[in-house]
Amino acid sequence: MLLNRETSGGRWRIRPDGPAKVSGGLAYLTDMTMSGMLHGFVLRSEHPHARIISINTDEAKQISGVHAVLTHLDIPGFNGFGIANPDQPVLCSDTVRYIGDAVACVAADSPEIARAALKAIKVQYEPLPVVDSPEAALKSGAPKLHPNGNVLHTTAYSKGDAEGSFAECASIVEETYDTPRQMHAYMETEGGLFLTDGEGRLTVYSPTQHGLKDRMQLALILDMPESDIHVLSSPIGGSFGGKDELNVQPYGALLAIQTGRPVKIHNSRWESVRAGLKKHPMRIAMKTGIDESGRLIAHQVSIIADTGAYSTLGAEVLNFATEHVIGPYRIDNVDVKGVSVFTNNGVSGEFRGFGGSQTIFAMEGQMDRLAAAVGMDPWELRRINLRMTGDPGPFGQAIAQTDGALQVWEAVRKHPLWTERRSTAPQAPWLKEAVGAAIAMHGAGLGYGMPDTAGGRLRLAADGKIEALFGYEEVGQGLIASLSQMLIERFGFAEEDLRIIIGDSDVVPDSGSTTASRATSMMWQTLQRLEAPFAAKLLRRASQLSGLREEELRLGEGGIWRQEGSERIARYEELARASAEELSCDTTFLYPATSMKRIGAHFIYTYSAAIARIELNTLTGRVKVLQQYHAVAAGPVANPQGYLGQIEGGSSMSVGFALTEDAMMEKGLYAARNLDTYLVPSIRDMSGGIEVEAIEELPEGDEYGPRGVGEIGSVIVAPAIAAAIREASGKWVAQLPVRPEELQQTPPFIAKAVNG
Amino acid sequence: MGEHAVENTEWPIVLHPELPSEAWSMKERYGSEAVYAAGATLLRTQWESGAAILPSYLIDLGSLPDIREIRVEDDWLVIGALASLSSILGNRSLIERHCPAVVTAIRNIAAPSIRNLATIGGNVLSGVGDSIPALLLYDAVLVWQDSQGEQEQELGDWLLRKSVHGAAGSRLLLRIRLPLLQSSPSNVGNDPNSSLRRFDRFHKVGRREAFTASLVTVAACGSFDHEGKLADVRIAAGGGQSVPSRLREAERKLTGKIIGESLLGELYDDIICYYEPQGDLFASAAYRKKTAANLIVAELWQQGSGAGRGDGDAVESGN
Amino acid sequence: MSDQSVQHRASYQLDCSINGKSASIPSEASKRLLAIIRDDLQLTGTKRSCEIGRCGACMVLIDGKPFNSCLTMAYQCAGKEIITIEGVAAEGLDPIQQSFLEEGGFQCGYCTPGMIISVKALLDANPDPSEEEVLEALSGNICRCTGYGSILRAVRRAIEARRMIPDVASVDTIKAIE
Repeated sequence: MLLNRETSGGRWRIRPDGPAKVSGGLAYLTDMTMSGMLHGFVLRSEHPHARIISINTDEAKQISGVHAVLTHLDIPGFNGFGIANPDQPVLCSDTVRYIGDAVACVAADSPEIARAALKAIKVQYEPLPVVDSPEAALKSGAPKLHPNGNVLHTTAYSKGDAEGSFAECASIVEETYDTPRQMHAYMETEGGLFLTDGEGRLTVYSPTQHGLKDRMQLALILDMPESDIHVLSSPIGGSFGGKDELNVQPYGALLAIQTGRPVKIHNSRWESVRAGLKKHPMRIAMKTGIDESGRLIAHQVSIIADTGAYSTLGAEVLNFATEHVIGPYRIDNVDVKGVSVFTNNGVSGEFRGFGGSQTIFAMEGQMDRLAAAVGMDPWELRRINLRMTGDPGPFGQAIAQTDGALQVWEAVRKHPLWTERRSTAPQAPWLKEAVGAAIAMHGAGLGYGMPDTAGGRLRLAADGKIEALFGYEEVGQGLIASLSQMLIERFGFAEEDLRIIIGDSDVVPDSGSTTASRATSMMWQTLQRLEAPFAAKLLRRASQLSGLREEELRLGEGGIWRQEGSERIARYEELARASAEELSCDTTFLYPATSMKRIGAHFIYTYSAAIARIELNTLTGRVKVLQQYHAVAAGPVANPQGYLGQIEGGSSMSVGFALTEDAMMEKGLYAARNLDTYLVPSIRDMSGGIEVEAIEELPEGDEYGPRGVGEIGSVIVAPAIAAAIREASGKWVAQLPVRPEELQQTPPFIAKAVNG
Repeated sequence: MGEHAVENTEWPIVLHPELPSEAWSMKERYGSEAVYAAGATLLRTQWESGAAILPSYLIDLGSLPDIREIRVEDDWLVIGALASLSSILGNRSLIERHCPAVVTAIRNIAAPSIRNLATIGGNVLSGVGDSIPALLLYDAVLVWQDSQGEQEQELGDWLLRKSVHGAAGSRLLLRIRLPLLQSSPSNVGNDPNSSLRRFDRFHKVGRREAFTASLVTVAACGSFDHEGKLADVRIAAGGGQSVPSRLREAERKLTGKIIGESLLGELYDDIICYYEPQGDLFASAAYRKKTAANLIVAELWQQGSGAGRGDGDAVESGN
Repeated sequence: MSDQSVQHRASYQLDCSINGKSASIPSEASKRLLAIIRDDLQLTGTKRSCEIGRCGACMVLIDGKPFNSCLTMAYQCAGKEIITIEGVAAEGLDPIQQSFLEEGGFQCGYCTPGMIISVKALLDANPDPSEEEVLEALSGNICRCTGYGSILRAVRRAIEARRMIPDVASVDTIKAIE
């Protein structure tokens, strides 16, 4: 179904958080202020790699208006954080490993005084050689960035005998793909408000993708029980994976505790670029062979990921990448080796796609090259090798079976953008229009062996509101809207009946992180489990109240109604008042996982195929996206507006990944330091239309409901653009962002006398 | 908490001279501690990034007389240095009558809100502003205030001296004058009996489709006589940190000639040979050179085949 | 040199109008308007994001025209009428805001105030813009969430919605006659 407002009919709703967002009335956590508050700032390393000889805060402390200057000596608990492996120091003591490493923090009466205090902190560094690439880090004799060396994680997967099978191949393609250091560039930077109540309780107002996890990590750092820490974590002005880890929370917390005053932190963009996470740049070398009929025989892959200074989720991203370099294809002989390497290049971590953007660009690039090598239609080549329903997942693991791959493949095959794709007549001799397509399967959830908790609670509040409590966060994706819609459609509630409670660590259940395209799925699954028991409880109480039998009653807008006729027999407030006994249901379960005992192997996938039509200007070598079509097979659409928004928004991140975005670094220093040099797509870069088709059909008996669509749009467009560039120019693109210099040509009408 | 109070270093004191001589005196008095401020958009960006140190004083030029006006005076189009880029676009029909490429250049600078604040003077004084190649086409003259009063200097001359001798010192830019040419669009365009067909074009190439610093800018204007021979052809190029300049060699080669493939081939080779843009991490000098050569050659080819239209959009499909 | 033209640091009084009400704000002459709005006036609808005028999140109207408040200094605002997102609608929601709601022209919402200000500036000056004019008007507003599709749909809807409003239409008629 083509997804837009018209086709969605009554399912297209105004977001509950909409009015506050369009009026400017919504207070983001970085908008919050409190009287008496101090301003918190962090002093960050001057070098990408150095030993700290000494830190002298005496002068800084002397400045009038400065209330605290803290170093590693002031950390009561564990000086480290990191979701998977807490190897990133809160405040560095002896070594700094990237330009954003934190060395000290201050709280002062005003930002100006705080900045003066930062300047007055004297840190003596002994600069160390900068390890500025994975290759440099892997050389023998390279400086060791961590006690166990410079390798964070290695992966290996093999099936059959890839190396030996190349001999059977009629055609082999080898290529090395390089992808950029993409930045999340959420419009709201990191920050928040931190305060203590004088009785040992700390309140943290700070955006994060996982409030309960932040609480856990802060408890260890501050040496406090979790029950003494209250984290309020939504709403958020964008995250895209960049706010799952802690960022400024430890500093705000430490300063608030030290000073006894509220402390506000709000990162400048400069600081966010300097200190924040980035997508893993990857170098993916592939050697892939097919037989005469186009069947994939052998596929050999090596992945080198630049994970930067600390672990964060680098190992998990590499695991994901190892799985996704295989693609939605049947390949008999596979050999994948991956290594994630520490360097002094910032910190690479969680980023929408989680390794999918890089690997799908590479895999789809191989398929296009193979098709060209044998003169076969690239979409046909994919069909020959496409996974069939019933096939295991990329690692041979059991997965939730759907027809998704074939459905999206077919949708592209018959779409006019594809069927009418032969390059159109150019407006000028140097303009070329062309079309390219790509297909992908993208795993949702954290994968086997990872803590992938899900769950939620429904409750009839004392004031009669139907409360839904979940541990997810509203990062902009429409979580609140989707949850609200699910409740309305499943139970028959009116929107005014609802109170959605998220982002409050004191009250929400552990639903796991808002990541990995899992939240919508898990909310749906939670409601699937809670529907019958919660409805039953409400009806039972209504029955007790009214004397009518439960079978005669149903849930509806505002209260309980008769099944027959249209009489509301009790309002929800009346039900609430009728008894002091709490009426609630909750459930805890795990995100569906595969049985194969391979860490990170996925079970539930979203499938997509996309077409991109581009214009190439050979005078400048520049590429403009004119039009896109996305077919997405992700089960039922929970919230049409949200689904459409995720695909459209994701696609713009993919366009940026392909054409304009690169947080370039030189010797461990960022060359692009703000949004004037780090270029995300402007409205003109995305001004072509995007058509989104949601394919909802699932096999009978599928119990998993809607799959996540938060990431799939962001991993599929870059390879389609690369394919289109090949059509337009005859040139292969193996490095992103696309380099205009490679696509430039001398104008065709110039005489052969030209030396260019 | 300590006793040592910190000096305010974050908010420069703002001075509001009411006469150019007063402004000049203030600058002389405070030297490098004071900067002239028009819209200050570039300055603010440099202060935020640390590329320039926040000065102690801003000399606000906004109260000076006649500093924003745009008008025709005798044979000159006069644009006050503090005319915002938007106000120049607001006077589009006047400016297009005399120097259309300037309008195109300005339309492609930054975005509307920045153009409301940024001034033509600020753009020129950066030494690398995107308006400069267009202004060079029309032989713009800068009018300065210094110790002697008002001084005039050709834009090209200032750029040349600046790259050799450094920035302007205390001199204050008051306005920019553009001579109305005999064959300017205002004289030529509407006359059906005119034997001249005129073109004025500007192109900017950046790193994304809009709202980007330039990598390459090219401007070209001239006219074709009834035989198709080029007359009064002018070409300028710039972009990024390259000092914009007229491509005089190219102009000499083209004058009096008819556009043809081998001429364009020679022109291409010449530009590649003589034009020296500055490269950086985002785009090499080679890319900028080839882009400039491609754009100029393609533009002339298009004009020569009579296909030219609009104000610079054809070569770069419609933005 | 006359000392009267020298402003002293400590007390610059910014006299202007904020959202229709006159204001006299003690400040510094070179303080950024963004800081005055957010920190001194507690109007946090206007957002701080890039701080160098490259994203549009800080957009406000000054005498009806869009300006990046992160680039504008107090002394540049003397005597001007400043409208922030909080002042876009006299009461309730402006048709532009309503259109954004109906089309879902936002996700995280952080770019939205600046976006709506730019749309308002456009439609107030040009009630029936071409697609090209819309793109130009919004070229300085970055959105990281939506891919701009829903924003463009919201703008088209707003153009229609404003056409329906009697008093807006009559203002345009008067302008056309003048």
